[in-house]
Amino acid sequence: MENLALKASGITKYFHDPVKMQVLKEINMEVKKGEFVSIIGKSGCGKSTLLYILSTMDTDYEGTLEINNVLATGQSLNNLARIRNESIGFVFQFHYLLPDFSCLKNVMIPALRLGKLSYKEAEETAYEKLKMFGVEDQALKKAGKLSGGQQQRVAIARALVNNPAIIMGDEPTGNLDSKNTGIVFDLFKQLSKEYGQTLITVTHDEDFAKRSDRTIVMADGQIINKPM
Amino acid sequence: MKISVNTEIALTYLTSRKKQTVVASLGVMFGISMFIFMQSLMKGTNDYFEKMSFTNTPHIRLYSENKVADNHMLKSYFNDPSEKILTNPKQLNQSLGLTNPYGIIEQIRRNPEVANTTPQVTGNVLYTSGSVELPGNMAGVQIDEEDKMFDVQSNMVSGNLHDLNRVHNSILIGKGIADKLSLHTGDNITVRSGNGNTLMMRVVGIFSTTVKQIDDTKSYANISAVQSLMGKDRSYVTEIKINLVNYMNASKVARDIETITGYKAEDWIKANEQLKAAFKIRAIILNSVIGVLLLVAGFGIYNILNMTIYEKIKEIAILKAQGFSGSSVTSIFLQQAIYIGVMGGIVGLILGFSLTFMVSKIYIGAGTLKYLPMSFYIPHYIQALCFGIFTTVAAGYFPARKASKVDPVTIIRG
Ligand SMILES: Nc1ncnc2c1ncn2[C@@H]1O[C@H](COP(=O)(O)OP(=O)(O)OP(=O)(O)O)[C@@H](O)[C@H]1O
Ligand SMILES: [Mg+2]
Repeated sequence: MENLALKASGITKYFHDPVKMQVLKEINMEVKKGEFVSIIGKSGCGKSTLLYILSTMDTDYEGTLEINNVLATGQSLNNLARIRNESIGFVFQFHYLLPDFSCLKNVMIPALRLGKLSYKEAEETAYEKLKMFGVEDQALKKAGKLSGGQQQRVAIARALVNNPAIIMGDEPTGNLDSKNTGIVFDLFKQLSKEYGQTLITVTHDEDFAKRSDRTIVMADGQIINKPM
Repeated sequence: MKISVNTEIALTYLTSRKKQTVVASLGVMFGISMFIFMQSLMKGTNDYFEKMSFTNTPHIRLYSENKVADNHMLKSYFNDPSEKILTNPKQLNQSLGLTNPYGIIEQIRRNPEVANTTPQVTGNVLYTSGSVELPGNMAGVQIDEEDKMFDVQSNMVSGNLHDLNRVHNSILIGKGIADKLSLHTGDNITVRSGNGNTLMMRVVGIFSTTVKQIDDTKSYANISAVQSLMGKDRSYVTEIKINLVNYMNASKVARDIETITGYKAEDWIKANEQLKAAFKIRAIILNSVIGVLLLVAGFGIYNILNMTIYEKIKEIAILKAQGFSGSSVTSIFLQQAIYIGVMGGIVGLILGFSLTFMVSKIYIGAGTLKYLPMSFYIPHYIQALCFGIFTTVAAGYFPARKASKVDPVTIIRG
């Protein structure tokens, strides 16, 4: 068995409201450690739904999910929360920050929760991450007062703060101009190549997808071809 | 100082909605200050009435009870339980006086719980002045002892109570008697006892208690004067009044004295049962009012936390997505409740104290009650704080639990 960061087998998901409908159909996928994978597909084909399951947030599915060769399916909510805190960084499609907190605090909170760093170290790490995305000058501003693109960059910084083994992004560059998209892409590439972190990003940006290690194409809740 | 990330988030939420936080703590503050104020007023009043009752009742009163004849002597004579004895029980014909009263007093004084004892002769009398007659009762006392135990001095409106020892056949009368017979200090009064003896006495003082019934009937004279008025000898004593070091022990000491002396020892609690009933009723009223206040404060907190959770549900989802467990989320919201409670509680303690202090300075001047009786009793403050914290935690627990159950995906998906 090789070095898998993530393995999903037979993932099937239904929504029951308003009518029963199958969103994901028997999805099988494997992602190697240090791999940079993109998921593309038409709007509404189930990309976000799949990503929520892969991130262990959604537990209402059929099939099994392994993270770092450990079975995540069926684990207690507390264990899953710990796994997320420690090994998964998530960038939401609509970059959700906590608006009452400063950008720096937003980035620090997952680090403080993990508790491996002192307050001071967490602050320094968070500041470094903000700097990587060029938003360090916004560090002390309330997150609610940033522009959309700035918020998205802070959200990416937050996903990276605990140096998680897997980083998942739901259109992490959706709100960014081409220059900043370039910065984020180069950084993701660097993280996978130099630090061996695994990246799974949903994107509509064909160019972004092509330049990543592998593209997974989805249609109608299924993966239609693995190597594109 | 190292504060946990949960605490930090809780504090940020509290400070980012200052107005709501303040309103919620005001509720708690109000509840707690009212709790303290009402408790202080009630304890003050109860203490006052308790003290008042000691201005005319001793902690323990020892007297000879009317006994009903029983057949225990006959039984021991026949010595056969199968014999049935028919009797017609009658009150025993016996003197109201205690046998060997000074011996008994000596004995009682040996008990370390006892602070003071004094003998008394009580008799029903008719006060006469001119053509007016007034029934009443006369207490033959040792006035110095009596004053030590019941602070007679504080009730004196004219005259000097120590003249009772100096002037032969002198008397202190209640203000009601003085008014009805239009007597002043220095006047003479004729006193007639139940067996027909009369005695001309000199009024050396007039006293006024807050109890009208006492002022209208009671008089003090030297014990020897009353003994001779009743036609009795110097060892005639109808009751012995006993004050204790700690009046809360009265029932126990009364029982001891009863077994030693064989006479009836009545403690102040038995003598003032209506007082105890009043205490109980007041306690019930007070506790219901406090209950309602704390309930309202609790609802305030419950409401505000519920609203916060409704507003912040997305943020709760984000925290959970980033690996905050359910118990962390509970802790964040429960802490908010606790901080609101502690803040409101501390201010409430201060306010409650100030309120109590201010009211204790209000002059009302009814009888001997010059100021509202307020007590400053530390356990009230501790109780208030405990109640306050309990209410806030109880009120915070349910919203916090609800927050911990938020499913991040449902919320984030929108
Ligand atoms: N809570 C829900 N209840 C019912 N149906 C839902 C729910 N959430 C999503 N869906 C449906 O599931 C399907 C997949 O949604 P999903 O959000 O995964 O799409 P997506 O591929 O991420 O699209 P986009 O690129 O626009 O973000 C859609 O048809 C959507 O209408
Ligand atoms: Mg989506």
